[in-house]
Amino acid sequence: MLVDCDIHVGYETLADLLPYLDPPTRELVRHSGSNGLVMPSYPWNHPTGWIRQDLYDRRESHESNFEFMSLDVLRERHLDAYDVTLGIVEPDEAAAFSIIPNAQLAARLCSAYNDWLLERWLEEEPRLRGMIVVPAQYPEAAAREIERVGGRDEFVGVFLPGAARIPYGNPTYDPLWAAANELGLPVAVHTHYEGVGIAPPITAAGMPDTYAEYHTLCGSGMYGHFVSILCHGIFERFPDTRVAMVEGGLVPFVGLLWRLDTNWKACRSEIPWCRRRPSEYVWDHVRFATQPLESPDDPAQLIAAIEFLRPAETLMYASDFPHWDFDEPEQTLRQLPEAWRENVASRNAQQFFRLPALAVA
Amino acid sequence: MREARLPLAEAPREGDVVLLDVGTQRVGLYRVEGTLYALANRCPHRGAPLCAGKVATPIVAGADGLELGREHSIVRCPWHKWEFEIATGRSLVDDRLRVRRYAVRVEDDAVVVSLDRPWA
Repeated sequence: MLVDCDIHVGYETLADLLPYLDPPTRELVRHSGSNGLVMPSYPWNHPTGWIRQDLYDRRESHESNFEFMSLDVLRERHLDAYDVTLGIVEPDEAAAFSIIPNAQLAARLCSAYNDWLLERWLEEEPRLRGMIVVPAQYPEAAAREIERVGGRDEFVGVFLPGAARIPYGNPTYDPLWAAANELGLPVAVHTHYEGVGIAPPITAAGMPDTYAEYHTLCGSGMYGHFVSILCHGIFERFPDTRVAMVEGGLVPFVGLLWRLDTNWKACRSEIPWCRRRPSEYVWDHVRFATQPLESPDDPAQLIAAIEFLRPAETLMYASDFPHWDFDEPEQTLRQLPEAWRENVASRNAQQFFRLPALAVA
Repeated sequence: MREARLPLAEAPREGDVVLLDVGTQRVGLYRVEGTLYALANRCPHRGAPLCAGKVATPIVAGADGLELGREHSIVRCPWHKWEFEIATGRSLVDDRLRVRRYAVRVEDDAVVVSLDRPWA
């Protein structure tokens, strides 16, 4: 049994969402700019391509950054090839809706995307489940979107990109957390669009020059959200909340938690709603996706480095298919101690996403 | 010598500390809600001179936001700012840590601090 927590799908162009949009937004998507509405994108380009080149035909490529991958390719090259029991679908370009300045437009695009995802992917393929894309810059609208589609079995959580105007623990986001908590839906924070749109620079050092730097630092937004969520007592105020950290690595979270636990002891009076040390909330509420699994020359060093995270209980397998740094299931699991593998391959995700037993039978 | 005496008039007011030596031990005498307590001048975290830290009122989370706990009921270590409840010696951030406490009694017009452990 294998649950993959991070499969990316996307539309070919924004125009694919036209049938799912209200007429005025349709006009905006068609007529904005020169050739229609475009999303902001990374100032860095992957030097050799964002996605696996064995999965699409370059001759059919177009101007979009994210090459289109069809459901047939996903089935044939991933779900069937690796016997994936269930795949959780995260967005590609739709992650950018949260970092465009026009929050109301973002809200309408998110609704259209979720309807498109449901009809074109989730209803078509029973092995897929979706993450709801919401306008994070507009928490009230995000809450309404969660309430609108969150009751459907095809959606198993809420997606938030690493890029954001302010960190996700801030009380501004309370409506979003309340809605997810009410429906029992976990929230995945996934690296995406750091330093792009309304998001601040990816690090306080300023903008890195190259994609290699970006991809090394891309978890920075997630780390900010992780610490913010813990320090704002989200898990105290919304006790059914679960959060997944997706594609931010594993080792950095060890260091962050050690520092945060120490700082909490000194600064307890500033955040007294954190009744327990921050790491204790993590064991109960936070899970970590494996990809991109850090790969030291000696794999034993990785195991030692992440031991503090209680990995047998907190790690969930993720492939990042079809992106260029895809982690193949067997190779990922083989790097982990045998005693962890079943939990990491499926059990932790099944509990975290509350997947019905039938769906993964 | 396992005991030290201090004139009752010199005992600390709420929020203050009076240091005294009991044998070889330096002890901080505190008063919380009228009751006197004696704590070792040593933080169980990293050995700092705890009694050089400020006496404070804890900030706690209540049902409707932040609240103040018992007035002048904690001492905050001067080094790493960990907080300890004066009455119990208990750390507010680590259940495993307690400041060593000493027995205090009032005899006639004197406060007597002994190296014995307090009853409670």
